[in-house]
Amino acid sequence: MTLKAAIMRGKRSVYEDFWALDEVSFEVPVGSTFGLIGSNGSGKSTLLKCLSKIYYPESGSISAYGKLAALLEVGSGFHHELSGRENIFLNGSILGMSKKEVTQKFDEIVDFSGVEHFIDQPVKNYSSGMYVRLGFSVAISVAPDILVVDEVLAVGDAEFQEKCRQKFIEFKNAGKTVILVSHSMDTVQQMCDKAAWLKNGRLVQVGEAAPTIQAYLGSLTTGSV
Amino acid sequence: MGYINEVISSRELLVNLTMREVKGKYKRTVFGQLWSLANPLAAMLIYTFVFAFIFKAHPDRGNPSGLDVFALWLLCGLLPWTFLATTINAGLGSLIANAGLVQKVYFSRIVLPLSNVAASGYNWLFEMGVLVVALSIAGAFVLPWLPLVVVLMVLLALFAAGIALMLAVANVYFRDTQNFVGILLQIWMYLTPIIYPLNLVQDQSDRIGGLFGTSITLVDVFRLNPMENFVDVFRQLLYDNRWPNASTFLVCTLWAFGSFIVGVWVFRRNEKNLAEAL
Ligand SMILES: Nc1ncnc2c1ncn2[C@@H]1O[C@H](COP(=O)(O)OP(=O)(O)O)[C@@H](O)[C@H]1O
Ligand SMILES: [Mg+2]
Repeated sequence: MTLKAAIMRGKRSVYEDFWALDEVSFEVPVGSTFGLIGSNGSGKSTLLKCLSKIYYPESGSISAYGKLAALLEVGSGFHHELSGRENIFLNGSILGMSKKEVTQKFDEIVDFSGVEHFIDQPVKNYSSGMYVRLGFSVAISVAPDILVVDEVLAVGDAEFQEKCRQKFIEFKNAGKTVILVSHSMDTVQQMCDKAAWLKNGRLVQVGEAAPTIQAYLGSLTTGSV
Repeated sequence: MGYINEVISSRELLVNLTMREVKGKYKRTVFGQLWSLANPLAAMLIYTFVFAFIFKAHPDRGNPSGLDVFALWLLCGLLPWTFLATTINAGLGSLIANAGLVQKVYFSRIVLPLSNVAASGYNWLFEMGVLVVALSIAGAFVLPWLPLVVVLMVLLALFAAGIALMLAVANVYFRDTQNFVGILLQIWMYLTPIIYPLNLVQDQSDRIGGLFGTSITLVDVFRLNPMENFVDVFRQLLYDNRWPNASTFLVCTLWAFGSFIVGVWVFRRNEKNLAEAL
């Protein structure tokens, strides 16, 4: 069985003839880690939003096999005046978890975030790094079959980034699919089996990670394509 | 049916978002929830001074309760009105206030305006509780009518929710909606007999007679206003302590369901475009 994500034509913006995504069509095998690369404004976030049902493509289709969770921004829906504890429950339910599930995973979430001491403090007193850690910990505990991640890994300190990397590897070993966007080619190289390169809303290349990254980097130095 | 299931499965989220509104609102204030009483009390003092003392507005004595207190009579209509107005205002801005969330997470969007309805409903319940205590102290026998009051409160909440849903969507596309609605609500309030009794309108109406040569009177036009009907029934139950007029109650019910059904329908039709339009 393969996870098939076929996007023929993506969403159109307010401009009459601007297609944020056009003729983007590819498949992501189940259990693989898939990287999306491309320069700013190439449509990576838009593509992820289509995958996570935030945007709906005007034409074309997307099929996903399994429960999909998206991590497009960490801490979406945190309320500044509420404590870390209250926000874990609030954020958990926004991401579709029941109270029971969150209670079960509560210790795990707090542990992974590393903000135990401040869990009863309002989150507005958190440093931005702590904020991100807590948000990420809640999101990662959703336990989806397919995890969609936008550039959120770039935040947080080195220790936390390493923790996240470990988490993704765990995910992969458990047979889950990860689709991620990153501007760090090292990250994509290390973590992804396959990659797709988007440019101005069009798919330039898709396939094994290494050659795709090479092609992308090559185009940057020569300025061609 | 699928949509109803989806909304039902989001009820936990609805509760959490409502608690976020309720808890976040008075967090770190000394008086906390008591602030929810401050606005109606201030309004009560102002209107009582201006309308009862200066303009000498005098509503009919409560029948059969025998109450004759302008301030209490006023609150029986004013509290439902402030609930409607705050619900519409908060619900209207709910999608824009949570734009970040709508653009980054998939969930049933309808919970955003609905959580605002529930949060202002929570405050309203608190205010109405205080009003019932005050009415009882003043000598009204409200208790037997409370179940009907609760039913009517639910109906008004449905009515308010429907309007909030429609306007929340409209506000995403035309941000001017918010400004228009602020003015319209003010006009609507003064066209509803909340701070003055309908009998003053009746006097004028009798003097003018049929409008434009028809048999329709000014009072008939006033009574087309759904809020006039709601306020009327609230007063019959709380201030007069008697069975409400059945036809008026029916009108409230129809408006409530009509508004809610249209609101949900409009919202549902536009839900998928919200993230892009925000
Ligand atoms: N809601 C929207 N309205 C108008 N244009 C949009 C919208 N969303 C995305 N775009 C446009 O689509 C293009 C791709 O954006 P995005 O997917 O965020 O790029 P990336 O994440 O690859 O940097 C950009 O040109 C952006 O301006
Ligand atoms: Mg992006």
